[in-house]
Amino acid sequence: MKRREFVIKSATLAAGGMVLPYILPSGRLFARTNAPKADHVVFVMFGGGLRQQDSILKRYLADSQGYNVEGNILYNMLEGAAPASKIAYGITPSGQPNGSQPIPKILSQSLQKQGTIFQEMRAISGGHYGGWNSLITGSRVEGQGLKVRPMNPTIFEYARRFGGYKATDVWFIGNTISNSIPLLNSSKHPDFGLQYGGNFFAPGITFGSDGYAALSNAKIYHPQEELEPVYKMKNFLDNTFNIKKGDMPGIRNTDDEKTQIKEFIANTFQRQASGLLPMPPVSGGDGSTIGYAAEVLRVFKPKLLVVNLSNIDGCHSNFTGYLQAMHRADHAMGFLWNYIQTQIPEMSGKTIMTFAPECGRNLKHNPIQDENDWYGYDHGDSNSLRVFGGMVGQNVPSNLLIGNEANPIGKVTDMALTIADILGFKDEVKAAGLVDFESMSLFDRI
Amino acid sequence: MNMHIFKPTLILVFLIGISACKKKDSNTYEVVDTNSYGDNLNKDKSKSNIEFHSILSTNLFQKPSSINELSRTDRVMQSCGDKTLINEVIISNYMNSANVKLPSRKMMTDSTERFIEETYIRFFIRRPTEAEKTWFTNFINANKSNPNFRPELVYTAFAASDEYMFY
Repeated sequence: MKRREFVIKSATLAAGGMVLPYILPSGRLFARTNAPKADHVVFVMFGGGLRQQDSILKRYLADSQGYNVEGNILYNMLEGAAPASKIAYGITPSGQPNGSQPIPKILSQSLQKQGTIFQEMRAISGGHYGGWNSLITGSRVEGQGLKVRPMNPTIFEYARRFGGYKATDVWFIGNTISNSIPLLNSSKHPDFGLQYGGNFFAPGITFGSDGYAALSNAKIYHPQEELEPVYKMKNFLDNTFNIKKGDMPGIRNTDDEKTQIKEFIANTFQRQASGLLPMPPVSGGDGSTIGYAAEVLRVFKPKLLVVNLSNIDGCHSNFTGYLQAMHRADHAMGFLWNYIQTQIPEMSGKTIMTFAPECGRNLKHNPIQDENDWYGYDHGDSNSLRVFGGMVGQNVPSNLLIGNEANPIGKVTDMALTIADILGFKDEVKAAGLVDFESMSLFDRI
Repeated sequence: MNMHIFKPTLILVFLIGISACKKKDSNTYEVVDTNSYGDNLNKDKSKSNIEFHSILSTNLFQKPSSINELSRTDRVMQSCGDKTLINEVIISNYMNSANVKLPSRKMMTDSTERFIEETYIRFFIRRPTEAEKTWFTNFINANKSNPNFRPELVYTAFAASDEYMFY
């Protein structure tokens, strides 16, 4: 080989070696650095702020209202007998006292029996938005403002960038559009951002009365004869208007994904009208949010779905309502796990469900009393940093309790690395250097 | 000063003065009536959800929406992560209304150039460039045989475009 030819070929090979990883169709730069533990992750932000004493410690009214009545009202998630008296956490049958009928257990085996519970974890923030940010980004949240997207990349962006997933593989289901919830599907980090963001619905709005008025009468265009020309014209128009991607106000799905989501919206209104949506037996509020999350799982089988619950936060002014919301959230969790295992064959046995709240609640009550003269609790003190979390599913050790009051193990910032670990890109997330330096995958804490 | 030098100098100054002060013909500039439209280069501000749908409903229905409708639409847009997608659904929801005002298919196919120009002005507040006009003329002509290709689809593409989201 001539010297000149050798130099050209060497340079071409070297350039190809550098460029090739960037043009892989999956979008991944390199092969995964750790073996995936499961194909799908469902992460439930179980909360709105629940007190450690009233939840995992199963103290019911004993540590909050001065009645010596203990018991477990989260019996789909945790092992333990339910309270024997002063039952106010259930549903309200007609003519019966408020909350007097507990909701029947859904799971034959609690999540604790099926999986691993971290009994005493630490939250980063005693507030909601800071708490959500720490769960979603895995980073400490100093300097994070309200009404702005997270400063650091979210788990959705890590999943799409390092996992190579498309937008419809990655979902965030919010329970509201207030409290900056719609901003949590993507950060404003310059190396990540909206181009890697997750799809988002707040089903209470999207499929509620507002959405019904604005969306339910939408035409379903013929894919080839109508939609294809529309997208050809739109693509031409967009190409003649070179706005920077970062300036666009939302995430972007491909044309095929858009068509799929439009069909999902239309079908959801139809299934809603026909009573075919997979709702927990006792739904409403957080239960409905879980039901729509189950519908997204059924249709899209995403790699990652995060769902936020928050009815528990009513504890500020209504302790009875707080107990009922916790009990219903446990019921909804049991429903969701059961639905994945029994109704979605593509995800059954291939999914890990994780859960943790964004924060706990105060040790001492506030002065607001509810109908039972029980006091409300705010959040923000050191007791608000006491939380519990867990995981269940493929490759998760069963019937394992980790940590206790004297030996806290795990942080809420672990959740992002845990998800990355499950899906196989933990090392890349750590290498990005934007998560809490003390955080670890919960698997590494076991 | 010597008179021999002063006299010719005086005559020279006089002659220069006459020629320099020659009356200049006045120019008349007239104004030709024409409409002025901007280009798309300076559109860098994103419309808010309410601005977007207020303008869109005016474009499609020739009358503004009520504030209640706009607030509702704003909430729905916030409830979806892909703004362009949810816009497209809302637009097609509008297109199902009996009150939407659209040009006829005949007008689009018979007066294609006028249709394109009016559509650009209606949605983008500017005239199309020659390249844009040519592309759309060719596209509409190529789709003449498709009975489902109608002005509604063109309006949908414009209303869903990136440029329409900016001002």
